[in-house]
Amino acid sequence: MSSATWRSHFTFNRYSQICARALRQSLKESERVKAEKRGLTALRYQHWENGQGGEQVYLVPPEGKAAAGAK
Amino acid sequence: MSSLRLLSSAARRASLAASSGRRGYAEVADKIKLSLALPHESLFSSADVVQVNIAAATGDMGILANHVPTIEPLRPGLVEVIDSGNSSKKWFVSGGFATVHPSNKLTINVVEAAPIEDFSAEAVRANLQEAQRVIAGNGSEEDKAEARIEAEVYEAIQSALSK
Repeated sequence: MSSATWRSHFTFNRYSQICARALRQSLKESERVKAEKRGLTALRYQHWENGQGGEQVYLVPPEGKAAAGAK
Repeated sequence: MSSLRLLSSAARRASLAASSGRRGYAEVADKIKLSLALPHESLFSSADVVQVNIAAATGDMGILANHVPTIEPLRPGLVEVIDSGNSSKKWFVSGGFATVHPSNKLTINVVEAAPIEDFSAEAVRANLQEAQRVIAGNGSEEDKAEARIEAEVYEAIQSALSK
């Protein structure tokens, strides 16, 4: 937070998530496995206009295998 | 009857000596209601505590009972909760907000936190090295900004662990 040069690149939400991720990666092995699951974001959004839905976009693109289920 | 009176006055003297190490001038009478919440878990829920030390973005703060109302963004750092009797628990938090309400209540909302004992100094050291490597390398400005944020968190954990 001290050197706020990140403000030109990300939103505050993203900054919070980066800090949280860094914290999770620094835990002891046993705690880390539980914590890593909390970092998972599975969100899709879709822009609607004139009653028509646009393309569904993943916020965090999945690593490839879930492409078949994208509808 | 006199032995009872002697016993109670001895107990009073002993407790004064014990608490004088912390505050130095008065018996702690007032407590503040602390609610410390993570998105997935509530660590404290309106619990009476004596003092809470937080790492605010503007500097380290100690919050006692009847603190002036304030809203403080938290930087990655320690939150220490001191309950009566010299017992203090420390958590490292990744960031969030601390709000002191006019009704002697303190609400701390953080994104992620863990007890200070749950951290691995070795993992922090390795992560910090990796982040510094990215900062010094030739990736995109975004990657470097991310690495700078992470390096700040790792350095804060290291200084928290060494306290």
